Amino acid sequence: MFAEQLAGNLIQGLVLGSIYGMATMGLSMIFGVLQVVNVGHGAFIMIGAFTTMTVFTKLGLNPIFAIPFALVIGMALGFLFYYVVMQRLIKAPELASLLATFSIGIILEETVKLTFGSEFRGFNWETGKLDLGVTVLPYSKLIAAGGSALVALLLYLWYHKTRSGTAVRSVIEDSEGARVCGINVNWAYALSFALGIGLTVTSGVFLTMFIPVGINPYMGGGYTVKAFVIAVLGGLASPYGAFFGGLIFGLMENGSYTILATIKGVEPFALTRFFSFVTLLVILLIRPTGLFKSQ
Amino acid sequence: MSARPGKYLALIPVLAAYLGMFVFGRVQPDMWQLVAMLAFYCCLGQAFNLFLGMTGYVDFGYVAFVGVGTYGMALTLSRLSGVEGIGFGALVIGLLAAAGMSAMLSIAVGAVALRLRGAYFAIATIGVNEGFRYFIEGARIWNGSEGIIFSKDLRAIFGRETAIALSTFWADVFVIVIGASAAVVTLIYMRSKIGFALTALREDEDAAKVIGIFVTKYKIIAFITSAVFAGLLGATAWALKLTYVYPPDAFEIHYTVEAIIIVMLGGAGTLLGPVVGGLLYGLSKYWLAIILPGFQLLIFAPIILVIIVAFPEGTVGYLKKKVRGTALERYIV
Repeated sequence: MFAEQLAGNLIQGLVLGSIYGMATMGLSMIFGVLQVVNVGHGAFIMIGAFTTMTVFTKLGLNPIFAIPFALVIGMALGFLFYYVVMQRLIKAPELASLLATFSIGIILEETVKLTFGSEFRGFNWETGKLDLGVTVLPYSKLIAAGGSALVALLLYLWYHKTRSGTAVRSVIEDSEGARVCGINVNWAYALSFALGIGLTVTSGVFLTMFIPVGINPYMGGGYTVKAFVIAVLGGLASPYGAFFGGLIFGLMENGSYTILATIKGVEPFALTRFFSFVTLLVILLIRPTGLFKSQ
Repeated sequence: MSARPGKYLALIPVLAAYLGMFVFGRVQPDMWQLVAMLAFYCCLGQAFNLFLGMTGYVDFGYVAFVGVGTYGMALTLSRLSGVEGIGFGALVIGLLAAAGMSAMLSIAVGAVALRLRGAYFAIATIGVNEGFRYFIEGARIWNGSEGIIFSKDLRAIFGRETAIALSTFWADVFVIVIGASAAVVTLIYMRSKIGFALTALREDEDAAKVIGIFVTKYKIIAFITSAVFAGLLGATAWALKLTYVYPPDAFEIHYTVEAIIIVMLGGAGTLLGPVVGGLLYGLSKYWLAIILPGFQLLIFAPIILVIIVAFPEGTVGYLKKKVRGTALERYIV
């Protein structure tokens, strides 16, 4: 009985984990290239969630069609914030970029609150279900997980097989050297920031396919913390590390929930979230470079 | 270190500001609520500045210390209400509990986070408030997600009249005193080895280490001091004033946001900055609540962006540059 429940929840965790992973890749990418921690990360996921909801309820389109909208909106926001704010802070103390991304997050949240109101919303996308015996997976969740894995693969190909991806990698290695070789470093920063934000907003689409309820302007805060845990698990600067970190985190979250639910007198949902925070502290303490490679 | 005359002259304007708030509130009793709000923001900024301003590290989970302090007072009052003749002893124990509990949390968090630099520090702290909130709710300690309501206990200890006076008047006076004390401690730190070490750390942490400054020690001192003032603020401005504590409210990240705005607006690392920032923020919030309710964050977040990009020293930092070399130099710090 318990084993069945655990197996079911772990499968769900793996599916959710791939979405978590994708939702963290943008954060890792921006940190990897610009050395900037996007503290407003969750707000961009929220933008993706609202994009999906609008596409689904106002335009009456399948949430899959929200992906191109989200990518375009995200990249546009990314370029806008990069050229208006971030490029002036590349050489500033860390305090400046942390507070700047934090403020950008607040601007987005408050703008959405003014447009849509602050109550929770959701939508209902019926796609049928896949019965695995121990658990039932709606196809919408599988599409979201598959889409996330596909995006991770595309990002890998872009990084390693295209000229612009190679240019960005060279900037990560040595921005001065890249400049000497004729790479437009500022453009590489701008592109990475915009792609990172674009990925994050797109991940909001996948997240709402998985969990189509609980959309609200302030929904991002929880995801910011989760994304930090995942990013640190995967080594803060590595987007693929983040993807695998997401898988581990999804398994961990659902596994610990299932185990905590058997203990009487505790609130398993809240404790799960507490443990994800403790995980963050423990990893930062013992292995701040992530689980996968040492520096 | 030679004792310079006028070393502590800079306290005059900042203490005058706190005294001015009190006097204004007494003269205009119908404005007392506004004074209470302004005092809260000045005190929040003053306490937050002790760490952010002096070290240049951002603690995104700062509100957790205010929340834990609120719990310290709430638990004390609700547990001790049955004790015969405890009276004002309960208040003292409550304040001590608030200070002690926030100090303990800050040591626990600091033990991990203060080993980390810059971005990693921010990442480690961003979940502290949520993490602690979910710990209270999840482990069902301190009445779990239901929170603690203790207005009855407050009346049982002090009697009806005194309880009301405590909530509506003395709580705010305490806040003013705590804010002023935080300012005094800030200046003492600035004028001592701690301040010099932290300035070196803020400018270049590696260089500070190389010349033999034990940076972690000074970071911890600033972190704990800042947390203790936050705890005292929670015990008075939230616990005594509201007479209840409820986890989602006590650990609301919104207050960290406000603390950041206040400190940046006034000038991080300056003595007078938090008061100037607190007054600017509090008054505009009060005014915006009348003409554009719900807009204050949407207005302040872009202002913070502008400050960070164009004007990182804040109002007082700017003034400080202007008065350099004049007689005012000693007063604006």
